[in-house]
Amino acid sequence: MKFIVTSSELLKHLQSVSGVLASNNTLPILDNFLFEIEKDALTISASDLETTMITRLPVKSEETGAIAVPARIVLDYLKTLPEQPLTFTVDETSLGIEISSSYGKSKVAGYSADEFPRNPEMEEASSVSVPAEVLSEAIHKTIFATGNDDLRPVMSGIYCEFSNEGLRFVATDAHKLVRYTRSDSKADKNSTFIIPKKPLNLLKGALSSTSAQVSLEFNTSNVKISFDDTVLIARLIDGKYPNYEAVIPKDNPNKMLVERTALLGSIRRVSIFSNKTTHQVRLRISGSELSVSAEDLDFANEANERLTCSYEGEDMEIGFNSRFLIDMLNNLNTPDVQLQLSAPNRAGILVPMESENEGEDILMLVMPVMLNT
Amino acid sequence: MDAFFASVEQRDFPELRGKPVAVGGSRERGVVAAASYEARKFGVRSAMPSAIAARKCPEIIFVKHRFEVYKEVSQQIREIFHSYTDLVEPLSLDEAFLDVTQNKQGIERATEIAKKIRKEILEETKLTASAGISMNKFIAKVASDMNKPNGQTLIHPLKVDEFTANLEIDKFFGIGKKTTEKLHGMGIHTGADLRKYERRELVSLFGKSGRYYYNICRGIDERPVQPNRIRKSVGAERTYSEDIGELEEQMEALSKIAEEVSRRMVKGNHLGKTITVKMRYSDFTTHTRSRSLDHFTNSESEIYAIAIELLSEHPREQPFRLLGISLSSLNVETKSKGGQLTLDF
Repeated sequence: MKFIVTSSELLKHLQSVSGVLASNNTLPILDNFLFEIEKDALTISASDLETTMITRLPVKSEETGAIAVPARIVLDYLKTLPEQPLTFTVDETSLGIEISSSYGKSKVAGYSADEFPRNPEMEEASSVSVPAEVLSEAIHKTIFATGNDDLRPVMSGIYCEFSNEGLRFVATDAHKLVRYTRSDSKADKNSTFIIPKKPLNLLKGALSSTSAQVSLEFNTSNVKISFDDTVLIARLIDGKYPNYEAVIPKDNPNKMLVERTALLGSIRRVSIFSNKTTHQVRLRISGSELSVSAEDLDFANEANERLTCSYEGEDMEIGFNSRFLIDMLNNLNTPDVQLQLSAPNRAGILVPMESENEGEDILMLVMPVMLNT
Repeated sequence: MDAFFASVEQRDFPELRGKPVAVGGSRERGVVAAASYEARKFGVRSAMPSAIAARKCPEIIFVKHRFEVYKEVSQQIREIFHSYTDLVEPLSLDEAFLDVTQNKQGIERATEIAKKIRKEILEETKLTASAGISMNKFIAKVASDMNKPNGQTLIHPLKVDEFTANLEIDKFFGIGKKTTEKLHGMGIHTGADLRKYERRELVSLFGKSGRYYYNICRGIDERPVQPNRIRKSVGAERTYSEDIGELEEQMEALSKIAEEVSRRMVKGNHLGKTITVKMRYSDFTTHTRSRSLDHFTNSESEIYAIAIELLSEHPREQPFRLLGISLSSLNVETKSKGGQLTLDF
């Protein structure tokens, strides 16, 4: 079998799915792309067994057939070529793949397509259609808060809670938590599932260049996400997600309104002088003044900055891991944010103020660090 | 407890009393686990290779250890401790820190409590114990070694400053041989010498321990007595009666150790990320090699596989007298990071 394709188009599509390729595969076949050829189209798949990503592009071909192509070699080769038509010729008995370019010919040994894992059947699936922008925002705003603890696998993914009132996405690592809700997108049926981090990171990249409607099909074990010419199939994380609503404080009477970029800049600068293991910064709020300070006793480093804020509540002194605050402030985009506090040993809540998007509701929560004195 | 293992042996075997005794090892091989006071006069110390002990003290009698008996005695003394306070932090089988600020018997003076505990230990086990009494763990530990055997030392809070200033650097608990050498090289011999250095200088010289040194030479030790010590590693090692040189034998040996480590991990409900192999050559030089995984494990086959890799990457120009495997970065550690509070899931 044989097909002709533009080198740059092929490279673009291979790169879009190559993020799935794992570096230490248990099955050698997973170091390959699966090429499936039909009349005038090529379908490319990459898989790590948990996640499979599939893309499709037009090529010039008359035949049908399939072959597994060593991923590393073909990617490395295509990167060296200027744009030009390439002819792929596959010998179906020897599984040799010959690539003809304007420079000459190269040959690589392929593997039988039958060895490549089959995609799971989506039985008894429900489906939702979401604009790409909504899903992309949801992933961007939550994924940083997911955990890495192998002992709590459920927290290493994003919890999706779909209902006819809206779509909700939750991520937490037990130190910080983000609850992202969209009331402008809805599902017909109530359903909950946890998508692992890896496919979501791949999706985050792929969604950035599209404005299409994204279709999500899911059952109890898998989710299939399709848009444009891309399909991503991922195994869901099995397990019970923690009861996140129970840990969100209902009454945080001390409320501070502050300019987001001013606070972010201040924490960034001050945290450079903080202890290298705790990254602790201290917020002291009194009247309309917020002081941000950090110190590293071991090296006699310290920093202190002052900001104006508008504050209702009692004078407060509370410690946080600066990395968490920086991540959270970075993932909000309103000019002002509100930090809601109750006590130095209770969760703080960060919310955006006057969001332009009415269908969007964001709540970020962060646990403090106990200050010694 | 004074010369714990050796004292137990002398208690149970009257013919050993008054004689230099070493527990563990033999005239040819092995390591002294404990030496009686009679043996210590000749310079025999615990952890000393027994061949050297035999040279220092030709009359020394080597006896086999009886860990079951020591454990039993250890249990007896812990029960005595617990009749005074539940804030007991065991340091080893025969040593523990006790916080008696609030004690169950309402005794005001800590010296009094130490006396009573030592008396009870003597009555119940026929063994003597020594005690150190002070305002924190570090001073108490140093004090406990000052009046041994069968004695006790009180360092009054008002004397702590003077005491630590005059204390020889090698007497500081937590400052070992290597650090002592380094400090001596810098002209530091006492606590007072050490105080001339600023905290950040000590941290840049000694890393995290620098902070500890900075504090202890001023008698500052804020560490609480922790009844449940957080375990940092789980391991097992073996000294072989004959050095092993063949790779096959070494693999066989590691497989047994991996089995033991895995068994201990499972028993203690631990999972670890870092696997370390310890190798001691016949000339006593010791090397360790370790590797961290991206996930937690307690699996025997995984521990073994990585241990073998680490071993085979290491030059094996001499036969080994000891091999060991340990697992660290345990899952408990990640749960307690500084003062960071966690959501209650």
